[in-house]
Amino acid sequence: MKKMICVILALTMVFALCACGQKAAPAEKKVFIMGIDPEYPPFSYLGDDGTYSGFDVEVCQAVCDKLGWELKIFGVNWDEKLVQLDSNECDCVWSGMTILDTMKEAGYVISEPYYDNTQVLVVKADSGLASSADLAGKVVAVQLGTSGEALLNGDLADLAASFQEVVTCNSFLTCFTELEGGAVDAVFVDLPVAASYAAKNAGVAIIDENLGAEQYGIAFRSGDAELCAQVDAAVQALVADGTYAKIASKPEYAEIVNNLLFLNNG
Amino acid sequence: MSLMTMIVKMSEGLGKTCAIFFLTLLFSLPLGMIVALLRMSKLKVVSAVTRFFITVLRGTPLMLQLLAVTYGPYYLFGTTVARNKLIPVVIAFAINYAAYFAEIYRGGIESISIGQYEAATVLGYSRAQTFLRIILPQVVKRIMPSVTNEVVTLVKDTSIAFTVSYQEMFTIGKQIANSQTSFMPFLVAGVFYYLFNAIVDWLMGRIEKRLDYYR
Repeated sequence: MKKMICVILALTMVFALCACGQKAAPAEKKVFIMGIDPEYPPFSYLGDDGTYSGFDVEVCQAVCDKLGWELKIFGVNWDEKLVQLDSNECDCVWSGMTILDTMKEAGYVISEPYYDNTQVLVVKADSGLASSADLAGKVVAVQLGTSGEALLNGDLADLAASFQEVVTCNSFLTCFTELEGGAVDAVFVDLPVAASYAAKNAGVAIIDENLGAEQYGIAFRSGDAELCAQVDAAVQALVADGTYAKIASKPEYAEIVNNLLFLNNG
Repeated sequence: MSLMTMIVKMSEGLGKTCAIFFLTLLFSLPLGMIVALLRMSKLKVVSAVTRFFITVLRGTPLMLQLLAVTYGPYYLFGTTVARNKLIPVVIAFAINYAAYFAEIYRGGIESISIGQYEAATVLGYSRAQTFLRIILPQVVKRIMPSVTNEVVTLVKDTSIAFTVSYQEMFTIGKQIANSQTSFMPFLVAGVFYYLFNAIVDWLMGRIEKRLDYYR
């Protein structure tokens, strides 16, 4: 029994010391947790070297360097992204995220839009499908939680009604595998993702009819207007000093560079 | 969207959830018995191979097995991916659950004392008769609680079918949650699963009571 008490006391002291150590440490860097969809090239994805990479990730890293923050990256479950943001698992959702009116209505603070996007249909090149009208009676896949899905349920409901069925998948890879495997006839997806996929995989074609024009932005919690302003200002500073253009000029971002709002507005 | 439309929409998916549930049970319960008998085979090779398959099926996530069954043939042999996802989903679920049921059956069968086999031999029962008339009725009774456990788990596991884009109830719930930026559909899904399992629980309780022989 005595031994037991000794051990417990010793442990308590060790823990107490640990606590001291933490307090005594020099002023910590602010940690900024970036919420990304790790399966969204070229904006955010797991790079060849096994670390998260992508346009948004590089910009965010530059922002954190500028503000002296420590960047931590958190891969969100895309269809739960706002719940995860609310529960403080990340400080922002910054991953080629389409700004939706419902987000603003729900009180989220949204940054300056930085990217112009459209939705396209990806089909097999040998399918003979050339327009959205050709897809009447066909099966179309869309990723759950993407703006494409929101569009098919909202503004483009008429188009969706002409399809035989809209199948929701949990990732782009599943969507495209369904397409390649012949289970669906088309995938409804953001242009940059489609372009990035078509660049790597032969035999697919993109039908671009400028469907669902929309913009990308960064989402913050409702109380974080100040944080949002800080990030917005830092991004503008990066645009001004050329860092932003330098990141965008990398070859892997060739498909998106023309739609970046900060670079193409003069 | 009102709560009522939400519930109606999600109930549409409930049919697909039920399809997975009933078809999986229909195939996996008998398949499990075959696997259990193979596992207990006197031939070392047969039992070793069966054992290996059971470890694979129990040792890898169901989600992975679903992906393998659905997309594996396409990646390996270039065959087309099934348009009706219920087929690969039920195959994957049935095989996976058969592995679990097999081990439950084996546990039940091996729990019967050897004395009963000896007594049956003395009384002139054949091996098949011993198994069907003496052993099995006792085994069924003993394994019911463990089987109920698996069946209840199966109800909840049906949501994994979304991995291969099968549009069951929880998938529809997630779609609504997204478009409405609301947590409500998850609550509805929780209630649905609970009610489903309450029925399963009640039914299994009834069956257990009916099996009240030898008392």
